[in-house]
Amino acid sequence: MLDRVREWLRERKEKLDLFDETNVDRLDNPLYALGHIVYFSWIVVFVTGVLLMIWYEPTTHGAYNSILRIQHEVPLGWLIRGAHKYAADMLILAIMLRIYRMYFLGEYKRPNELTWMILFASLVLAMISGITGYLLIWNQRAFWAAKTVLSVAVYLDQIPIIGASKFGSAIAFIFLGGPAVGQGALTRFYAIHFGISALLLIAVELYFIFTRRKRFGLSPTAIVVLLLMIVATSYIFPAEMGRRADPNRTPLPILSDWYFLALYQYVKYTPPLWAGLGPGFLITYGMLVPFLDRSKGRRPSERPFFTVVGVMALTYFVVFTTLIMFNIAVIDRDPHIVLVMTSVVLVIGLLLELRYRRRRRAAEAAAPKPPPRVVGARPAPTAG
Amino acid sequence: MAERGVNRRTFLRALSAIPVLGALAAFAAPLLRYLKPNLDPGLGLPEGRLRSLAEMDLPQGEQLALGRVEELAEPWSSRIFVYTQRYAQYTPEQARVATIPGVAIRLPWKVSFPGFKQGEEPTDIVIFSRICPHLGCIFNYVPNWREVTAGYGGYVPPEERRHGLMACPCHLSIYDPADRDRPGRVLSGPAPRPPYYFTYEIRDGVIVITSAEPGGIA
Repeated sequence: MLDRVREWLRERKEKLDLFDETNVDRLDNPLYALGHIVYFSWIVVFVTGVLLMIWYEPTTHGAYNSILRIQHEVPLGWLIRGAHKYAADMLILAIMLRIYRMYFLGEYKRPNELTWMILFASLVLAMISGITGYLLIWNQRAFWAAKTVLSVAVYLDQIPIIGASKFGSAIAFIFLGGPAVGQGALTRFYAIHFGISALLLIAVELYFIFTRRKRFGLSPTAIVVLLLMIVATSYIFPAEMGRRADPNRTPLPILSDWYFLALYQYVKYTPPLWAGLGPGFLITYGMLVPFLDRSKGRRPSERPFFTVVGVMALTYFVVFTTLIMFNIAVIDRDPHIVLVMTSVVLVIGLLLELRYRRRRRAAEAAAPKPPPRVVGARPAPTAG
Repeated sequence: MAERGVNRRTFLRALSAIPVLGALAAFAAPLLRYLKPNLDPGLGLPEGRLRSLAEMDLPQGEQLALGRVEELAEPWSSRIFVYTQRYAQYTPEQARVATIPGVAIRLPWKVSFPGFKQGEEPTDIVIFSRICPHLGCIFNYVPNWREVTAGYGGYVPPEERRHGLMACPCHLSIYDPADRDRPGRVLSGPAPRPPYYFTYEIRDGVIVITSAEPGGIA
């Protein structure tokens, strides 16, 4: 048993492909440059982040002012801050697109299971890094995002049996460094925000050194284009400041960064315990997909159920994001519609899967039986 | 060379793993404790009086004189305020004081409100913490119910509830402060319970807030 696990791990470690670094021959297709873009934007985020640390002041009194100073007084401060923000957005967008590419093209199948799992975990970590990062601005959005996100954790204590250990409250307490969003929380968020990136970057560099892989398949032109995109975005749309955090007033409407918007809409629709469990199930599903999907084919049409689930996830992401941006939510009506739609779509996916399997079985039965295999014999020519 | 079962070498290896794992756990336990924030044992106490740690976890509230009863004479008139609570907690700034925003509302009819004489005597003044029991945002008292329908998720209250309501901008929970059975009843949205209440007394015509319902801080 242990030997089989070890063998499984050995094979996947050999075939690890974290940043598409084995896909160097497909770089004409931007879909296959996504891994390189992930790595590139990560480096930009890291370098600009270290530069920002020079001017940033991690206290509840000074944080907002120090960022105002970076934005308006420090020479090129607007560019460093804009590049940090927009490169981080690019990073998350590239990870998401790559996850969808791997999902729809079945790239998570053997021997890429481990690559997929690491990639999926890196999306979760990047999002944690994002939410801990925007508390550092200490504006209204940051304050309320931190407050609501960590209140969700407290509701995990309501789970029967395991909830009695109060592990949900413990999570909130550990992240916040106390019972409320204050200086303790700011210090810890600062540490987590930098720590995740720094430790993972070291791990990735070690991986490149030990496996002697190529880091980067991007051409100089592609790098210049990406950098210009970042600079232009930070110039045209300077990174927002928002209003200073006010613990006694909740802004209306309250919006977070784009990748959390859909989740915010979901939180409106569900009782608080499910607001914590739902994303948990989603992450579990994502991590376990390579083991749930036992089909042989890699094309989307060869595994209808999983394709339908993927399309549904993408649709919900887009629709929920749009709804929250326009502040549309009829709480008495919408959750039922979402529930019914989800069930109907899942059933349709299941039916498609059954039909596909029945047809394939029929096709196999109709095909002429191959002659009994003889060792060393040449394969017989197939009919049709 | 046993093909099946556990051979001696594996067994001994497994046996020796137990003390090694035990030692690792002994190292790991204080490291995990390191993550938990500290409580300062002497915070805000007079010299020579030290209470038990369990007692110090309870927040200490201050009495707050809100104003005279006549100031809240009109039905649906309200007054917002900030209530101060003190926690025993160690921070770089030493003391931690948390504030709870609240709202007092005059109702046109009397209800049984647990904050006033344990709900035994009906009252027409209700006082709630404005911290939403859903995820801890600060909710608003909205005197005009049409604003709730327009900006807080399209909830249309039934005829008998078309009056001042309380609504949270974060996740659109809506509460009725004047519900006759349970003031603060959740009308719509994901909130699991009515908002936390304040207990108050009326001393010589002055509304004095004495404490907050326990558990009401986020």
